Amino acid sequence: MTAALHAAGLRVPGRLEPLDLDIGPGELVAVVGPNGAGKSTLLQALAGLLECEGAVAWEGRPLHRIPAIERGRLLAWVGQEAHFEFAFPVREVVAQGRYAWDDDPSGIAEALAELDLTHLADRPVTRLSGGERHRVGLARALATQAPIQLWDEPVAQLDVRHALEVLRLARQRVDAGGTLLVSLHDLRAAYRFDRVLVLDRGSLVGNGPPHDILTAPLIREVFRVEATFVQSLVPELPRD
Amino acid sequence: MRPRLALPLLLLLLALAFLASLAFGELRLSFSQVLNALGGGGDELARTVVRDFRLPRALIGLAAGAALGASGVVMQAFFRNPLASPGLLGVSSGGALGAVAVLALGPMAGFAAATLWALPVASILGAFAATGAVLMLAQRGAGTERLLLSGVALNALLGAGTSFLLTTTVGHFEVNAQILFWLMGGLESRAWEHVAMAVPGILVACLLLLPLGRAMNLLSLGEQSARSLGVDVRRLRRQLIVLSTLLTALATAVAGIIGFVGLVVPHVLRLAFGPDHRRLLPYSMLGGATFLLACDLVTRVFPLGLRLGVVTALIGGPFFLWLLRRPR
Amino acid sequence: MRTLLLLLSFLMALPLAAAGPRRVVSKAVGTDELLLALADPGQIAALSHISHDAEFSPVAVEARRFPAIKDSDAESVLRFRPDLVLAASYTRPETLALLRRAKVRLVVLDRFDTLEDVFASLRLVGQELGQAARAENLIRSCRARVERLAARLSGARPVRVLSAGIYPFTSGTGTTFQDLCDHAGAVNVGAEAGLQGQAPTPSEKLLTWNVEALVTTNDPDIQARLGEIPHYRALKAFQAGRLVKLPGPLMSSVSHHRIEAYELLARALHPDRFP
Repeated sequence: MTAALHAAGLRVPGRLEPLDLDIGPGELVAVVGPNGAGKSTLLQALAGLLECEGAVAWEGRPLHRIPAIERGRLLAWVGQEAHFEFAFPVREVVAQGRYAWDDDPSGIAEALAELDLTHLADRPVTRLSGGERHRVGLARALATQAPIQLWDEPVAQLDVRHALEVLRLARQRVDAGGTLLVSLHDLRAAYRFDRVLVLDRGSLVGNGPPHDILTAPLIREVFRVEATFVQSLVPELPRD
Repeated sequence: MRPRLALPLLLLLLALAFLASLAFGELRLSFSQVLNALGGGGDELARTVVRDFRLPRALIGLAAGAALGASGVVMQAFFRNPLASPGLLGVSSGGALGAVAVLALGPMAGFAAATLWALPVASILGAFAATGAVLMLAQRGAGTERLLLSGVALNALLGAGTSFLLTTTVGHFEVNAQILFWLMGGLESRAWEHVAMAVPGILVACLLLLPLGRAMNLLSLGEQSARSLGVDVRRLRRQLIVLSTLLTALATAVAGIIGFVGLVVPHVLRLAFGPDHRRLLPYSMLGGATFLLACDLVTRVFPLGLRLGVVTALIGGPFFLWLLRRPR
Repeated sequence: MRTLLLLLSFLMALPLAAAGPRRVVSKAVGTDELLLALADPGQIAALSHISHDAEFSPVAVEARRFPAIKDSDAESVLRFRPDLVLAASYTRPETLALLRRAKVRLVVLDRFDTLEDVFASLRLVGQELGQAARAENLIRSCRARVERLAARLSGARPVRVLSAGIYPFTSGTGTTFQDLCDHAGAVNVGAEAGLQGQAPTPSEKLLTWNVEALVTTNDPDIQARLGEIPHYRALKAFQAGRLVKLPGPLMSSVSHHRIEAYELLARALHPDRFP
């Protein structure tokens, strides 16, 4: 089965050491690590938004051979910053997700509803709170209906209800065959993902199922904190 | 305000400004005289004044205003900043240096050097050279901050060059005055040759720009997100820089340095009709043209010796300050 | 005895006093012309910084026998340790102030619109140089020349002319062009229309004035250059080629050399009076 995301010798000088990666379709992957570890860099590099060394392939196709428009259909990236300079209404921002589909409007209303933005659809995006703007970015990514989604810190600014909702959406997408790579700060949420990638100062130091990787020694080494997971107390992620 | 009213309203205002530019001037002509003259009839004086003086001047005012308005929109989308203006990347300064060089060095090199075509051509060359220099300074794949800083540096350098040339002409009082006049912008003595020089290029550039509005919407909200959504950002930025430079260069070449049109017009229209570039681009072209024609009319009707660039600054400046004070 | 000695020394000092300044510097082209016309060569220390340039100076050839000041600031003037400096009123006031502070005798000429103004300047400069007699002679011969010209032109209908150039200005009243017209049998149409000084050219009104000829400088492509300007192109006089071209420095001369310009213009406008 071709990997949804493949990286070989992926390196960003000064920020990311060479790494190899294969993420299959239908995987929900968390990227964790302390500040400055290179999580955002990894996501940007995989999304083709950074100059980097090494090879990256989406669904088996080398990145540099995929025309710009098709990239919009295959992969959606949501950045950490949710700053919008101009006062487009929320609906129009989310509609931008349909750019690669010639502005075909299907899926926009659903994306708005999934992120609880329907009541804000006509409001200028500049007049939203930080969390609301993050949701707009996510809705836009969902509207692309791209099978591969890379979200950088999507829940950091969301309140608990919306955070859980986003994680539920993530799981839903993956269950339907999509691939999702999410960078997170909250290790407890990461524990519920299919796979976890641990970055420490630009190097990939862990790649596997969370209960294998997120051991006390690793957490001590990477996060400089004494902590263990108490299996029985790890919260369940919401499911449908 | 409802966008559906925008286009007819802007077209109407432009038509009024254009007609007023033909109807008003030093010589008092009645409306019927003007219409007759346009049609080719009427007395010879009116015909000459309307067709050989006011018509080319109005066409250039229209084209230059549209060019500056459009260029302003592009700069604001490109830099994701509603305070950006056409001159940011040194285009106008480069154009100024080119024109001033011809004016200053022309008399020394012999009269023949400074023909009608030499000045605008030198101005356009200067404008493109300046933009090229900025892009080189910022190097390939340059981020917007890098470009901005390069533009600032180049603007300063080119300004110094222009001042230097000004000092070399201190003895030639009339050349000095001519240079200062050009630096303050103006549409006097515009002939059909100037129309031929600038209007086709501006028209083509505007037409090429219009379809880019859709992609500009995405670019204006983030370069990386635009790329991720399927926009060929590198190609788009290249197109935007080239078209914006061409528009500003042509406008500057035939009308001198005129500020505030590219800054205030798009800003105001965005506040009134929203940030969708598919609408903002054509609106700013119409609005820029109207604004410039109106300012030119002011210089001709009020005999205070005001230059066009001065009027746009006198109106645009305070207006802009007022805009800044409004709560976001 | 003592009184006799005093009287003798006083008498001997007189010639020296009457000799006049020995190191005169001229700061402007207009004063160059006056200085060259009135001073003994030994009195001239330096001329203006554009005196050698034929593009500006009607007396460039003669001026080249003398040094020129390097620049138009006070220091360049003071280098020559002048005992008299002639300047025009359009010199920068800071420069004049510095020269005054350096305790140099400074004569500033500020009126040069009409011929009478020029004669007054000649008298003044003659006085300063100790060449009053020479000045009077020059004035007398100038007057004679002008009167001869007026006699030739007597009764001729004045021709209606307009000053034309590539810069957007037209000469009205109170300009050297006006003076030129007054002495060459011409009517300055710009002045008649109410323009004062160097006024911005009213490009549309221009067409309603009855202009019979355009007066311009004799640069080689002036005709082509004027043709590029819509309002000149539309003038009947231009289309008929009625252009009088005068040497630039003469046309804007602020000294008595303008009389040559009077004669050139008169000759061009009234050829029948100059067989």
